[in-house]
Amino acid sequence: MIDLIQNTLDGVMIGSSYALLALGFTLIFGTMRRLNLAYGPTIMAGAYLGTYASLRLGIGALPVALLVIVGAALVGLYVERLCFRPFGEGAVMASMISSFAVWMQIEEAATLAMPRHLNAFPPLITSAPIALGPYFFRADHLLMLIVAAVVAGLVYLALYHTRFGLGVRTVIDHRRAAELVGVPTERIMMLAFVLASSIGGIAGFLIAAGDGQITPMFGMWATTKGLIAMMLGGLGSVPGALLGGLALGVIETHAQSLFGPQVRDLIAWGLLFAVLTFWPGGLLGTRRIARAAAVQRRM
Amino acid sequence: MLEVSDIATAYGKIEALKGVSLRAGKGGITCLLGPNGAGKTTLMYTIAGILKPRRGSIRLAGAEIAGLPSARIVARGLALVPENRLVFPQMSVRENLLAGAYQRKDGAAVAQDIEQMYARFPRLQERREQLAGTLSGGEQQMLAVARALMSRPRILLMDEPSLGLAPLVVEEVFRMIGDLNRDGVTIFLVEQNAHMALKVAHHFYLMEQGRVTFSGEPGKLAEDEVIQRAYLGTKRPGRVG
Repeated sequence: MIDLIQNTLDGVMIGSSYALLALGFTLIFGTMRRLNLAYGPTIMAGAYLGTYASLRLGIGALPVALLVIVGAALVGLYVERLCFRPFGEGAVMASMISSFAVWMQIEEAATLAMPRHLNAFPPLITSAPIALGPYFFRADHLLMLIVAAVVAGLVYLALYHTRFGLGVRTVIDHRRAAELVGVPTERIMMLAFVLASSIGGIAGFLIAAGDGQITPMFGMWATTKGLIAMMLGGLGSVPGALLGGLALGVIETHAQSLFGPQVRDLIAWGLLFAVLTFWPGGLLGTRRIARAAAVQRRM
Repeated sequence: MLEVSDIATAYGKIEALKGVSLRAGKGGITCLLGPNGAGKTTLMYTIAGILKPRRGSIRLAGAEIAGLPSARIVARGLALVPENRLVFPQMSVRENLLAGAYQRKDGAAVAQDIEQMYARFPRLQERREQLAGTLSGGEQQMLAVARALMSRPRILLMDEPSLGLAPLVVEEVFRMIGDLNRDGVTIFLVEQNAHMALKVAHHFYLMEQGRVTFSGEPGKLAEDEVIQRAYLGTKRPGRVG
């Protein structure tokens, strides 16, 4: 029983970083209606910038965090300009394939900048786990959960209580109608894209600092975790992304404790397969899927 | 108020508008009739800045707006109630109205205007927290009009407001158009329902195959022919009509 609870708590903490990854993913998908495969590599590029600066300049954890977030935001802007802005609404394939090309480009660039496969990333907290009764909490994972909760809260406030948020929600709901009421849709989409990339940067920093290392494969890892969590929660749904991330974390942790670390990713992919087959709307996204299908028919 | 001259808009190589000129006078209801595929909706989207014209000029209260982005055109005082209404289905009625005021920065006046919209359309007040996608067609039409009015437009464009509505609701919609106009709203209306449109319009144009082919005032000459052409297009030569 203690194991069960401990694993669930660990899963929630790890899952909170997945939730942030999925939140960024879903903001991009919701506004663009297109998949950004370069999302994870964007975050990896930010993390590489952070670790590069920390190794060369010996800066502390907070400036590194700032660099990772700003780096991810700038690379996100680059991806938006290159893979999304030039193509029209309907060019789903063009955007997805070009974002794959940019993914490869970023991975190559990272390898050129730091040729070693494995690079040290400055850890945030190195203190011993905190004991609470029979349970143990890693301090950095606890911090991850707190930061994720704060970021999710801020995103909620921005979406529901600011003019920018109103604009984002109108674009997510009906892009043409948003144009007609005077929302500058292209600017909103660009800002949402940059915001999403920065959220990914926050998640990327917390994860890399927790692991104490970074490899070029982090890009693919972040894209797949974010994608699975987003699909699990429901495409384009913000609460769904948060829920999907937490659920993925909990399921993975239990799977790992039951069957060993090798099956962890296998379970995640199996879960994606099962969700797509039996529950294609995800936890909170059925209505949106139905509407997306209606939009496709109209086009 | 609105002056369109020699506007041409194309989808790729296909020219949907081949040099359209018309005007909508201040305080009036101007109506554009025409059969399916004449280019009426293309003209509306071109005026609203969703489509970019190849040539020509569109002046709103004297200022050129052709080619401006749609957000700027809304800010200049032109609002379009689009074909099929296009309310925000996953947002509440109240949020739809708020979105209509997106270009405005006077928060207090926006809140007042929302109350005014509720007074004008009591059904919207009853359903203010309901998702707009769950409203009936007639209610969605009311919401689309109220949303457009929230930008405080100088001119209101309406594209086929009667489309897909039951006859009784259509009458209600046209009663509302008349009411709005009596309250001082300038209206430019596109309709296929020529009978109803000619009852409220002060001036009308007939559009066929991307060109304006007739213009006049209702109740005067050749109304039957205009209605027939609005529904069916120009008679083929040699046929007895």
